[in-house]
Amino acid sequence: MDSKARTVGVLVAFLGVCPFGAGVALAQTPAGRDTCVSCHAGLPESRLARPAELFAQPDIHRESGFACADCHRGDPGATEKSRAHDGAHGFRGKPMGLAVITACARCHSDAELMRRFAPRQRVDQALEYATSVHGKRLAAGDTKVATCASCHGAHGVRRVKDSKSPVFPTNVGGTCASCHASDEHMRGYTLPGGAPLPVNQFSEYQKSVHYAALMKADDLSAPSCNACHGNHGAAPPGVGSVANVCGTCHAVFAQKFETSVHAQIFDKGCVECHGNHAVLKPSDEMLGTGAHAICATCHGGPDDKGAVAAEAMRGDIDRLKGAIDATGTLVARVKNAGIEVSTQELALAEARSHLTLARAEIHASDAARVDAIIQDGLKIVTTTDTAGQRGLRELKYRRTGLVISLGVILLVVVTLALKIRQLDRRG
Amino acid sequence: MVQRVVDWVDERIDLSDVRHFIAGKGVPIHAQKVWYYLGGLTLFLLAVQIFTGILLLLYYRPSAAEAYESVQFIVSDVEFGWLIRNIHSWSANLLIAVAFAHFFSVFLLKSYRKPRELTWLTGIVLLFLMLAFGFSGYLLPWNELSFFATKVGTGIAGTVPFVGRFLLRLLRGGDEVTGATLSRFYGLHVAVLPAITTALVAAHLLLVQRQGMSVPIDVEQRAKPGERLRQMPFFPNYVLRDVLAWYIALAILAALAAFYPWELGKKADQFAVVPPGIRPEWYFLAMFHTLKLLPSHILGLEGERVGVAAFGLAALFLVLVPFLDGRSNRGERSPLFTALAMLGLVYLVAFTIIGHFAK
Repeated sequence: MDSKARTVGVLVAFLGVCPFGAGVALAQTPAGRDTCVSCHAGLPESRLARPAELFAQPDIHRESGFACADCHRGDPGATEKSRAHDGAHGFRGKPMGLAVITACARCHSDAELMRRFAPRQRVDQALEYATSVHGKRLAAGDTKVATCASCHGAHGVRRVKDSKSPVFPTNVGGTCASCHASDEHMRGYTLPGGAPLPVNQFSEYQKSVHYAALMKADDLSAPSCNACHGNHGAAPPGVGSVANVCGTCHAVFAQKFETSVHAQIFDKGCVECHGNHAVLKPSDEMLGTGAHAICATCHGGPDDKGAVAAEAMRGDIDRLKGAIDATGTLVARVKNAGIEVSTQELALAEARSHLTLARAEIHASDAARVDAIIQDGLKIVTTTDTAGQRGLRELKYRRTGLVISLGVILLVVVTLALKIRQLDRRG
Repeated sequence: MVQRVVDWVDERIDLSDVRHFIAGKGVPIHAQKVWYYLGGLTLFLLAVQIFTGILLLLYYRPSAAEAYESVQFIVSDVEFGWLIRNIHSWSANLLIAVAFAHFFSVFLLKSYRKPRELTWLTGIVLLFLMLAFGFSGYLLPWNELSFFATKVGTGIAGTVPFVGRFLLRLLRGGDEVTGATLSRFYGLHVAVLPAITTALVAAHLLLVQRQGMSVPIDVEQRAKPGERLRQMPFFPNYVLRDVLAWYIALAILAALAAFYPWELGKKADQFAVVPPGIRPEWYFLAMFHTLKLLPSHILGLEGERVGVAAFGLAALFLVLVPFLDGRSNRGERSPLFTALAMLGLVYLVAFTIIGHFAK
């Protein structure tokens, strides 16, 4: 069976339990007496009372007019448990495994129904889920894998944009980690090679520049687990598709990398140099053949063309960076002295753009192209530096002029004072 | 050479009256005579403003699109443009500071008393004009600070009872501070205000020359009946002292311009978020901070409107001081008006300092 056929098969298995039309018919229990909540809320057993308590809290389904029976079925008007939980009314109790997907998909895969509540929301979650590792394993009978409720919750389900939702961008990592960081939960799962599936992804991710951007800089566009792995269709990116995944955000780097000799050699694309979960803030030290250089992992020695190119690119970057720093200090000094330097500041910003462009160009691994950009940047810095030096001379000129002027004024003041004294004495 | 020129002019328009007037003019000598120099100093700084202002006019372009860039051009590319602009900015501030000092010295020495009511009136209006110069000139570089400070300032003008809305639209040239506001402020700054100022300065000087320097009441009272106060010749003794003070002011201006250049800041952006710490120039700080401290409602009326109305009444009171202070007019000591002047001085200094450090 090819993957497409398998996907469709799994989806049919999920959705076949209850046809779409039934979802439309059952959605939103008619207003009336609902004994589910009133009865469960008073039960002493927490397992049974907690759902009623959570459902009473912010819950998108309750707020949209759905009731317990829309998922659990049964008779919500009955006052006796036996009638309320009557199988004749379709009561299904707590859905587990595939039944969770079925229960959610009954509405969430129904485009017509969803249009009434959230017209912009996608309706292919179940389809995507069927393609995920979770979905495939579930279809194969593994009930430990995550289903809809594992991430979104079953009761007290909040909108994704609600910052308290477990799938809000800042909470996604922790939600995934609740299973993936658990030794016990992940025991028995292996990588394609047979090695145990690691449980350190989240702790590694917490060291990354992505985590820092998301959690410390409150940049909600920064990636969490689902940005690279997908959410409903969660799966590790294939070896060949890593650059595409990273390139979703880092488009320029991905384009440059595509033209690089490394694109043909690196098995894991970007991950080879930057890592996957613990993607650290890149630095110029990663380039070249120095102690912290990533290039040195593979390249070394004077005859290694890669090492020579890496060193040349690093030298270029350092040269422009040093020149910008030195001229920046000069311009700041002149500015602090009150000389107008906005043109020079603009030029320095352009030089910094060249530095950024050169850093992006490194991904093409072509030293000549990097050098061309650096030379353009250096020309700008040289011109700016000349203007800065001119500013310093101007400053000196102003101060000298002031001293001379003050000297002349002092002379006039003394002369006037003497003259006044002479006049006063004369009477 | 000078004598030959004077003789040439004298031969044609007979300057003998002027010469006799100057030769006969004296300035009283007493302990408080130092305050006399503040008037001359204010005049000197006004002259500096006119001179540097005319030079700036050669390059300044009064439009929202070009104003900032033209000032940037003046300070970076025009020969000595930085010096002219810095002196203009510093001199404006010194001028207002000295004008205030002159005002308080006249107030405390009761120099406004009969027969100098008109000198006081012209002087008070000139002080208000200097503030108007400062307010209108502040916007002209069209930078971020001046833009938002003008927005706040014209907003306050908008709360003037009865005519606030009209005043706000008149000042702004619309509902918002835009290029139209800049054009109006420019016209006000370089044409309307200078014209009125020139006429009033001429009248003020004429009155001072005509009536001579006022002698403080206590100095007059200490003098024995029939005794004439010691005087120094106006020319050259007093004039040389004035010139000496002007030179010292010039030295201070030059040093400030060279060491503390007036920052141009960022270009105004009408759609930008109001930057924190926006406040008016220091000479409006006391008023601004007072309005900030007022409760939202006073006796059922909007607090800010009440505050603005109170400032208006205070200004009216200042104008009428010579007519209200009967004791001074009779040559008697006037402790109430001395106390009021001291109160005003302490209020202005204290609230300016508090306003400066307030967040």
